[in-house]
Parts: sequence; structure tokens; C-alpha cells
Amino acid sequence: MAELIEIKDVKKIYHVGAEDVHALDGITLTMKKNEYLAIMGPSGSGKSTLMNLIGCLDTPTSGSYRFNDREVRDLSDDELARIRNKEIGFVFQTFNLLPRADAAHNVELPLIYAGIPRADRRRKVEQALEAVGLAERARHRPSELSGGQRQRAAIARALVNEPSVILADEPTGNLDSKTGEEIMQVFEKIHGAGNTIILVTHEEYIARHSGRIIRLRDGLVESDVSV
Amino acid sequence: MQVSESLRIAVVNLRVHKVRSLLTILGTVIGVMSVIAIVSIIEGMNKYVSERLLEEGSNTFYVDKFGMITDYQEYLDALKRKDLTVDDARALERLSTSILVVGSLAQGRNNVRYGSREVSSVEVRGVDEGFQAASTVEVEHGRFLSREDVLRRRPVCVLGSDVRDKLFAGLDPLGKEVRVGRHRFSVIGVAEKKGSLLGVSQDSNVMVPLTAFQKAFGSRSAVTLIAKARDQESLQLAQDEARAILRARRKVPFSKPDDFSILSAETFMELYKNFTSTAYLVTVGIAALSLVVGGIVIMNIMIVSVTERTKEIGIRMAVGARRAEIMFQFLIESLILSGAGGVIGVLVGVGLAALISNVTPLPAAVKAWAVGTGLLVACGVGAFFGIYPAARAAKMDPIVALRYE
Ligand SMILES: Nc1ncnc2c1ncn2[C@@H]1O[C@H](COP(=O)(O)OP(=O)(O)OP(=O)(O)O)[C@@H](O)[C@H]1O
Ligand SMILES: [Mg+2]
Repeated sequence: MAELIEIKDVKKIYHVGAEDVHALDGITLTMKKNEYLAIMGPSGSGKSTLMNLIGCLDTPTSGSYRFNDREVRDLSDDELARIRNKEIGFVFQTFNLLPRADAAHNVELPLIYAGIPRADRRRKVEQALEAVGLAERARHRPSELSGGQRQRAAIARALVNEPSVILADEPTGNLDSKTGEEIMQVFEKIHGAGNTIILVTHEEYIARHSGRIIRLRDGLVESDVSV
Repeated sequence: MQVSESLRIAVVNLRVHKVRSLLTILGTVIGVMSVIAIVSIIEGMNKYVSERLLEEGSNTFYVDKFGMITDYQEYLDALKRKDLTVDDARALERLSTSILVVGSLAQGRNNVRYGSREVSSVEVRGVDEGFQAASTVEVEHGRFLSREDVLRRRPVCVLGSDVRDKLFAGLDPLGKEVRVGRHRFSVIGVAEKKGSLLGVSQDSNVMVPLTAFQKAFGSRSAVTLIAKARDQESLQLAQDEARAILRARRKVPFSKPDDFSILSAETFMELYKNFTSTAYLVTVGIAALSLVVGGIVIMNIMIVSVTERTKEIGIRMAVGARRAEIMFQFLIESLILSGAGGVIGVLVGVGLAALISNVTPLPAAVKAWAVGTGLLVACGVGAFFGIYPAARAAKMDPIVALRYE
């Protein structure tokens, strides 16, 4: 089976003043469909940087990143937008919901940019909210939701377009451990339904939900263990 | 992406910033408003004036030695010219084939009294027997001045309806004696009301026989000729004939210009149009200026809005918005802003025109083309000045926008 994600010797260097920060210093890793991967590592080790590259939000300084057998570097802005829209569902630590739109509309966003007709959108939004257990809060704005509910809305948004992979950068980082555990149940359920998941976390107990743990240190892969 | 989503986003954002949005569109509102209001007034005046001039008789023209005087030197020169007389009027009638009838008119101002009542500064007209046929005067009550009255220099008069109302207030004026200045005239008729032209009453006058006028108010025999052509088609020919006849009578050498002038409704109309086209230019200038300023304000606010919503742009890009879609979203927003400015400007402008025509004698006519142009230009301004902010939004790097706090 073809690899979903193929990263070869990827570097990301930030120039801060006169200094070069090697956020990623030559990462190589591959990932298949339906894997459940956890990325761990100390603060500043490059986890978020890697996630942003995988999510096509950012581009590497050097190295090769192939997504679904296509070299991302060669894609146009519109093709990248299409991949972010259809192939990738991103869940952020800080939710990143539109404050002035209700949960349903936030979930609807990727469908709107996908050009899906209104009736289908409504049905898909309902299903996604149902899947994360937020159906009865559809008309609430983010400010009227708890942290856990906000993250559920964000996960529903990531799910709704049935992407190839769901990327979650510390999805439980802003939640208490009980709520965090609930969110992890949601991910487990999504993975059970056949989705591919990459999840960044600091917590061992969260990482244990996954099938494979990659540890980063100083922009390098320190270990890559399947469990 | 669906246009409906762009509209929804734009409306939500404009609703959140109501006051700011209103202030933003002020320039556009003022620009469109002034165009609509001023165009409506000018067009209203055009319509009114041309109607009134036509009513005045589209196949009559005037001849006098002054014409349209525009400066003092011209006036002094004209003053030296030979007067036109009743004899010229008779000559025109006799020699021209296209002229039906020629009336003569001499004018002055004087106080008119009846008993203890007095109207000051009334236009006193000395007219001959041709006047009624050449002009559009109708008598409402009694009779008009006759050939006999003129020949015999009878001290009789026909009152304008305003003068009748002020002097007689309901009493029957026929047979009564009024004093025009120091002279007595007995009333034989009342002219039909003509209404006012641009706020000036057309009914504040007294008409007396030309001969009586000249005896009472001046030895000079200068008159204005009012000639009526056979019909509308022969108006130009009639004017040409009048010119030739008068030049011959006044012995104007071939190389010299006319020493009299011929005025028709068309001449007045042209002069008037000249004047209003200047007003149009000034309006266009004001409007263009306020629209440009309005456009810059819109651009400025859109730049602020784009910066404020950097995070939102990042989120939208992260879930798959293409650059063109972000661009479109912000363009729609500035279009809505300027479009709303245009609509409000049209409404206020129409309201203003209606108000002005209600409280002043100026008439108003709202023109569809003015409304259309106003809206179109307003939207054009929004589109043009919206491009830069929208392009700025579309150019953002997704990850940078997303990290923006
Ligand atoms: N935009 C940026 N400009 C400059 N340096 C950056 C930028 N983003 C990240 N870095 C640097 O790159 C390194 C990796 O950052 P990254 O955010 O990937 O760490 P992380 O592993 O996600 O840390 P954390 O667990 O705290 O979220 C850090 O040293 C950071 O300072
Ligand atoms: Mg991080």
C-alpha cells in the first residue's frame, strides 16, 4: 500500500535576527493510511512546526514532502488550499473557531469552500456534530461553549469533509484531564471509523491511545516506536 | 465559494461595526447625494423653464435694441442705437410673408393705487393692438385693449390678476378708476392668471394703450416688438425676414452687425442651458472629489478590517479558502459599503430635492440616469478602492495569519 505521508530530510530554518533557528533539522518519516500516530517531545523540539508542514500550512526550507504521492513543493497555492480543504482536518490547541459564527457554521466552513450544496452541507454538519456529541449546541457561538465543547466543534470541523488525515496539535492542551480524556474518546472513535490521525501531546497517557509514538528532540526524530 | 457566504460574512461584519460602517460611507453618501439633489433641481428647472417658454409661444420672437446684455460697455453701446418704433412693427407686418402679426410693448414701473390701497412697483406695459394676438395674454373678465383704445389714446387699463387681488380684494374692478403714478386709468378688464416663473409672479402688471403710456410716462417712443410667425416651421424664416427688413429700414451697412437683436424662446433656452451646464460641471467636481475621498476612507477602513481579521483569514485559509475567495470576500465587503453609501446617498438626495422643491420655488425632477450613474459610480469606487485591501488579505501566508494575535 502506498504511503500517505513521505517526509525525507526535511529542514525548517527560521532566521531570527542574525541567528538561525533549526526548528526541524532533517526529519525523515513515513506514514500509512489508517495509522494513529502520536508525536511527543519537549517544548521547542519542533512538533508544531512539523505538524504545520504536514498540514500544508507551511513549507519546508529544504527536503522533500510527498502527500498522497504528490510533491507538495510543486503544488500551486490553489492546490494547497484544496488539500487543506479536502485532505486534511486540522485541530488546533487554541481551537481557532470563528468567534462570530455559531458551532454549526464553524463546522460548515470547509464544506462551503468545497462548494458543496446547502442541503448536503446541513446534513454533513449535523452528522459531524452528532459524531462529537455536540448536536444540541449547534446554535451556540464559541463564547457560549465550554473549552471541551469548543474542541469538539473544532474536531467536527476537521472531520466534516472526510479528510485523508486528521492533524491535532495538542488538542487537549487547554483542557482539564477529565475533558481531555473525553476528547481522546472522540479521537478513538474517529480512528475506529477508519480515519488516519496524527496527534501532538505532552502527556504519556494521551499518547498511549495511539498505535505509534514518535519522539522529537531539537528538530530530530529521537525515537519511533509502534505499540 | 458561494456568493451568499461572502454576502453573509460581509453583512455580519458590517453589523458588528455599525457606527464605523456608517462613518466609512459618509463620503460616498455625500457625493451621490449632491449629484442626485443638484441634478434633480437642475433637471426640474430645465423642464419647468422649457415648458413655460413653450407656453409663452414657440412661434413668437422678440426684437429690441438691447438683446442679451452681458456687460456694461455693451449696454452703453446698445444705448446709442436707434430705438425700435411702432412704425417698424407695421413695416414688419406689411413686408414679411411669414410674420402673422407684430405687437409693440413699452415697459416701466410705477405704483398703482385704488382708494387707500396701493401696490408699489408694478410693471406698467404700454401695448398696441397687435400685442394680444402676438402674445398669450387672455382676458378673464371684461375685455382687452382695442385698436380704438390705442388710436384714441384712451385712459383705460387691463389689470394683472395679482394687482386686481391686492387693490380690489373681491370687489368688481370693472369701470373703477385706478391711479398709475399720477395718471388715472379706468379698468376695462382683468387678465387671466399666469402663475409664477421661478418665484417671480407673472401677474403683477397693468396694461394700458401704448399711446396713453407714451403720453403719460415718457416722450421716447422706444418699444420692444413681439412678432408671431405663421407657424412653428416658419419661425426661422420669419426671423430672417425681420432681420433683413429691419437692417434695410435702419440702413445698416452690409459689413456691420445688426444694431438690434432678435430673441426667441430658443435663445432664452440656450442661454439658460449654458448657465446650467456650468452648474453641472461644478456638481461633477464636488461629487468626484467627495467620492475619491470617500473611496480612500473605505480603503483605509478595509485595511484596518483586514488587519483586525488576520486570524479569521488564517482560519479560513487553514480550512481550504483559496486566495481568490479571500480576495472576493473583502471586495464584496467594500462593494457593499460603497453600494450602501450609494443607496443612502440616492435616498437622501431625492429627499433633499423634494424638500428644496417644497420650501423654495425651485422645481425638482429626479432622473433615472442620475440615480443609476450615482449607484454605479459608488460601486465602482468601492470596487476600485477595495482592490488593495482585498489583495493584502489574499496575499497573507496561512501560517503567519493563523499565528497572528
Ligand atoms: N515563526 C517562528 N519564527 C521563529 N522561530 C520559530 C517560529 N516558530 C517556531 N520557532 C522556533 O522553532 C522551534 C520549534 O518550535 P515549535 O513551535 O515547533 O515547538 P513545539 O515542539 O511545538 O513546542 P511546544 O511544545 O512548546 O508547542 C522553537 O525553538 C521556536 O522558537
Ligand atoms: Mg507546539
